[in-house]
Amino acid sequence: MIFSRHSVLKRGCSTWDRQQMPQEEYQARLDSLRQQMAQQGLDALVIYGDNYSYADLCYLTNYFPKVRGGIGIIPRSGPISLLLNIGSRDVPFAKSLTWLDDVRASGQLGRDGAEVLKEKGLAQARVSLVDSGKGFPLPQLEELQEGLPQVQWQPSHSMLPQMRLQKSAKELAALREAGRVLNEIWQGARERIGPGRKEYEIVADIDRLARDKGVEDIRILAGEKRLQPPSFKMTANVGNHWALYLAIQHERYWTEVGRTYVSSDQPKLQSAYQKAQEIVTQMAMQLKRGNSIKAIDETARNQLGEFYATAGTYGLGNGIGLNQWEAPFLSEDEARQVGSTSLGATLLNENMTLALRVAFETEGKLILFGDSYEVTPDGPKSLTGK
Amino acid sequence: MNPQQEFENRIAKTRQAMRKKGLQTLLIFDSGRHNFLRMNYVAYLTDFISVGPETMLMLPLEDEPTLFLSPAWDTERAREESWVKNVRPMEGFWNRLRNNVGKAGLIGREAMNVDLHDELVKTLNQTPANAKDILENMARQKSEFELERLRRAATIADAGVEALHEDARIGLKEFELAGIVEYKMRSLGAEDNFGMVVANNHNQALHPPTDRVVQSGDIIIGEITPCIGGLFVQICRTMVLGRPAPMVNEKYAILKTAMRLGLDAAKSGAPASDIAAAINGTFVEAGYEKYCRPPFMRVRGHGLGCGSFAPGSLEDNNQTELEEGMTFIIHPNQYLPETGYLTLGDTVVMTKTKAQSLMRSSWELYVKD
Repeated sequence: MIFSRHSVLKRGCSTWDRQQMPQEEYQARLDSLRQQMAQQGLDALVIYGDNYSYADLCYLTNYFPKVRGGIGIIPRSGPISLLLNIGSRDVPFAKSLTWLDDVRASGQLGRDGAEVLKEKGLAQARVSLVDSGKGFPLPQLEELQEGLPQVQWQPSHSMLPQMRLQKSAKELAALREAGRVLNEIWQGARERIGPGRKEYEIVADIDRLARDKGVEDIRILAGEKRLQPPSFKMTANVGNHWALYLAIQHERYWTEVGRTYVSSDQPKLQSAYQKAQEIVTQMAMQLKRGNSIKAIDETARNQLGEFYATAGTYGLGNGIGLNQWEAPFLSEDEARQVGSTSLGATLLNENMTLALRVAFETEGKLILFGDSYEVTPDGPKSLTGK
Repeated sequence: MNPQQEFENRIAKTRQAMRKKGLQTLLIFDSGRHNFLRMNYVAYLTDFISVGPETMLMLPLEDEPTLFLSPAWDTERAREESWVKNVRPMEGFWNRLRNNVGKAGLIGREAMNVDLHDELVKTLNQTPANAKDILENMARQKSEFELERLRRAATIADAGVEALHEDARIGLKEFELAGIVEYKMRSLGAEDNFGMVVANNHNQALHPPTDRVVQSGDIIIGEITPCIGGLFVQICRTMVLGRPAPMVNEKYAILKTAMRLGLDAAKSGAPASDIAAAINGTFVEAGYEKYCRPPFMRVRGHGLGCGSFAPGSLEDNNQTELEEGMTFIIHPNQYLPETGYLTLGDTVVMTKTKAQSLMRSSWELYVKD
């Protein structure tokens, strides 16, 4: 799994394109969720999200926390409440990013969340906690549960990730748009990567390219021998080789690419990079409805040979969407790294979206190639248009 | 003090506190969610900022500390950047924990999820004592090592403000304004930024930028917070594109007075509340008593995390004594009905007697015709 230093604040363009993702989309998701709640005998859900992992919360509300976290309280019927760890002066702005009417500021999510559940008559209810990102701060969770001693708690962390597995037409459109923007950023970035420039100067250029295109957030990892997050310690000048992992969040949806700059006088590295691209293409060929998820890993294993171990350390891919890494996962180990107890799916299906990548070391350098794909009736299709 | 001495000094002080508490092992956790609103305990003791999801420093009373982390591919960076020599993938932590570690303390519980905490308690066969006060007390006073980074971050923040002054223009979108600041600071090595830059002729509050197009007469407010080596410095400034209404100059002068009085009130040994009182007093005197509360403002400043968040939020009931070496922001940011939200603030360091600003940017309202 490619983890990267997350932003202290999601400080890119924050708007809601209501044409791209209208309120009706969220209402349909809510209706579907409530049907499941009824089937499972649940009276309410408490959904946690933060600026690190907001997918479950955003899927229903369109809101993504900029800093800290928040909870959505979803009764089986009646209005939804959104409690956000923000100041009261920030509520009007938060409301501009969600269709919900009841948005409240809270300095103590656990304590205040318990009060909202009581207010909704749910003090003795069956309530499910949804926190697939495993981010709910422990003291706050304890306060929530201690404030509701008669509630029967039932974890349902996989309920929303399952709903998010196959993307709707609107979601696919958003992902394609994110992919298009990412491709433009990469096309701009490749002109700026070259020998003699400090790593953090190039990182600044790429960051600017992305922000000027209105991305909400960005992740950059880069380096010669390994992937590193931006740091003031990145003072080395780029030489004849540089690997770059780039992911953006655009209108809530993530896409990622992996690329390697290799100067033309490095034929062995050029050849290795070509090989990496071929392997990812082979892996992507497995993205067909009904194929086993594990076939992707097997393809990579067969193709990579001795390089498989290193590539496996970085992870060969995962689902991508409202989360940078989500179901379906390619292996149990990958799933475990982000707190998931399963792959999320064993078979591929249409409208799933996945990031695939290969990273390995050769000649003492890191080679990286990766792209984001959707599973279509005709097979794989790159979200970045490659 | 060189980095190695700094590390040895911190470890020695930590062990001293462990002895007082009767702890044989200290477990220090971070989830990779580096945040300027709280302390990153692992970074404080290792100088390594993890990308997550799990980083655990195991510090025995006598033996060498070991840094366990995931993802495994990041261990090499940890070996190079961290002061800790022993760096291992996270899997090894659980085996190591099964050996007898004696009475254990835990720091970073707030960043743990319930499953991880339960597993820890089960494996340890004890509930570790919450020992976060050890590091929070130690880190209250910034060392010269930290101040050097903070000064570098302050220089970068000033450069971000200057870039905004130079490049802001009518017709840009808010997110492009924010991008100007971000680019300048990244180009100088900033690792991250708690940054908000917005423009309107009557701002309600600071928030992340939208796609609103900047217009003549807009008041641009900014809270800019670059990070160097995990340490954050914040600066707040206001500028106007085009000629400001006389009212804007007049009201901004109140913020400048409040800033000066707030800075003067920051004396070593005084409670943090004195700063809030001086700032609030200025607004009360100007006739804005009812605006000295949320949602028109939040607090009059606050500590900046990674290192200690002390002295906490600058508000009326904060009796924390200001100490030499503390760093925090003083910001009389305020919504006023005539002008909207205005911002002004500097990060300061407490000297032996008083607060000293780390910033060089002028407090004046910057007007770009």
